Amino acid sequence: MSIREAVQETRVRLQWQVMDALIAVKERLPVDFTALSNRFGYALIVPGVALVSFLAVGMGLLAWYSVLTYDSIDIFVYQYTLENWQRLVETTAFHSVFVRTVTYSAAVTVGCVALSIPYAYLIVRTERALFRNFLLFGLFVPFFSGVIIRVYGWLIILGKDGLLNWGLGALGLGRVDIIGTPVAVFVGLLQYLLPFAVLLVTPAIASIDADLERAAKNCGATQWETFRHVVLPLARPGITAATIVVFTISMANFSIPDLLGGGTNAFVANFIFNKIFDTLNYPFAAVLSLVLVAVASLFVLGVFKIYGTGTLGMEVEDA
Amino acid sequence: MTGTDRFSGQFRTDHPYLTAFALLEFVFLVLPSLIILVVSLGASQIITFPPTEFTLKWYVSLLDQPQYVEPFLNSVLVATFCTVISIPIGVSTALGLNRYDIRFEHGLQIYLLLPFTVPLVVSGFILLILFGRLGWIGDLWAVGLALTIINIPFMIWSVASSVNALDRSLENAARSLGADQLQTFLHVTLPSLMPGVISGSFLMFMLALNEFLVSLIITTNATETLPVAIYGAIRGNISPQIAAVSSIYVVVAILAIVAADRLVGLERFLHA
Repeated sequence: MSIREAVQETRVRLQWQVMDALIAVKERLPVDFTALSNRFGYALIVPGVALVSFLAVGMGLLAWYSVLTYDSIDIFVYQYTLENWQRLVETTAFHSVFVRTVTYSAAVTVGCVALSIPYAYLIVRTERALFRNFLLFGLFVPFFSGVIIRVYGWLIILGKDGLLNWGLGALGLGRVDIIGTPVAVFVGLLQYLLPFAVLLVTPAIASIDADLERAAKNCGATQWETFRHVVLPLARPGITAATIVVFTISMANFSIPDLLGGGTNAFVANFIFNKIFDTLNYPFAAVLSLVLVAVASLFVLGVFKIYGTGTLGMEVEDA
Repeated sequence: MTGTDRFSGQFRTDHPYLTAFALLEFVFLVLPSLIILVVSLGASQIITFPPTEFTLKWYVSLLDQPQYVEPFLNSVLVATFCTVISIPIGVSTALGLNRYDIRFEHGLQIYLLLPFTVPLVVSGFILLILFGRLGWIGDLWAVGLALTIINIPFMIWSVASSVNALDRSLENAARSLGADQLQTFLHVTLPSLMPGVISGSFLMFMLALNEFLVSLIITTNATETLPVAIYGAIRGNISPQIAAVSSIYVVVAILAIVAADRLVGLERFLHA
């Protein structure tokens, strides 16, 4: 017997011994595995549920903090008050930040969904593998390089001596100063959220039978009519999902208004962040956090009410 | 047919306008990432266009900059921690939910989506308060735990799709051939879940490596991660040295995409 065969045999024997030992241990455990009762199923989901419970417990904690009294030295004292909620009504600075967040997010959502449909459609329908990979590359490079990196990229492109001004200068068109304006925030958010929208719209378009489009064309529909009356209605679950995800992520964004907005285009998240770290006003930050969660949840519920859940929600589970 | 003909043939389609439009979108999507690579190679102290001379000096200068090296190591450790602990949690949660008759299953599924419904700034605030009360602020593993909490649905989804795709008759066959439950699990069930585990791990690792806002809120000087360090630096100026640090992310993203394509195929991520 060669050395190799001997080693191989020892390895197999060892593997069996380990397995036998494991089975022996298992047999001795006071658990009835043969019945594999549903109680075992509950035990399996405990770690995942426990992990998520950090956030659930935290939401409760925020509700509690929101009625405590703010103190500039001790952060808060354990004395119940509705002052923080009253402040929510009275703080007009927050109202304008809130309105800005909602309007920008709405604009970005419309832009993202509109831009995602042609991109997703081509990913699904192109017959050329190289072109599809090219499109997927364009989708995943930004997705996996992180928001800070992309914001930095936009600072280089849109900055005073950036790529855009160099290009405009070369064409003799003068200069623009975009950083710090709503346009910069809009462009940054659009580019940040477009991959999310494409990722959600693509499966919906993939599930459309290509024969339906051919049938429409055979019946004399133009490309546009086919798109309008076949593709668009059937892609609705994906469009709904994209609307929800893009709007909620945009509503909660911090880094893009912070770095591209130049300090004058704060979103709700920036406002909350400042309350936490500048004034250490935890109770008021808790109120604002609860408002942000409530608005995002109401929006999701509202979209579901209007468009219906359909196959959405758990659709990903079955993919 | 020459090589260039074949290449341009890849872009010839029956949707010429749509293709042109998608190519513009492609540029819009990748330009901010790719411009960083270009700028990081420029020789001058300040970023100018077009870069006149090319050099690798910014990359070399990084090696003796502890303000970037330490956050980089922190980020890698945190992402690894996140991936390693999310695998068993994801596998057991996905199996428990999809294989067993559990009451309130629908409600639990929605509950497990909580990390996605709570805005990141709020999650960060919550974890700042909770970890502060528990005395965990300043521990690197706590940063890993925080990022696991906010990203765990990705792992659960990813494994769940593999659980649903698994043919139960394979397990039954192993059992009727005399394999113990444990052997069946290790040799049949787990290997069939691997595609889901791999794509889930990949997402967990990449997202943790990139995570910014929750890290910004809960890290201290000692536990600072790389995105937080880069954020601190770009608020000051946008020198080519930061471009060199940032380009690590762009390169990692490109390598990760190539690896993911080879391992499980990029199309898989379109469904997860």
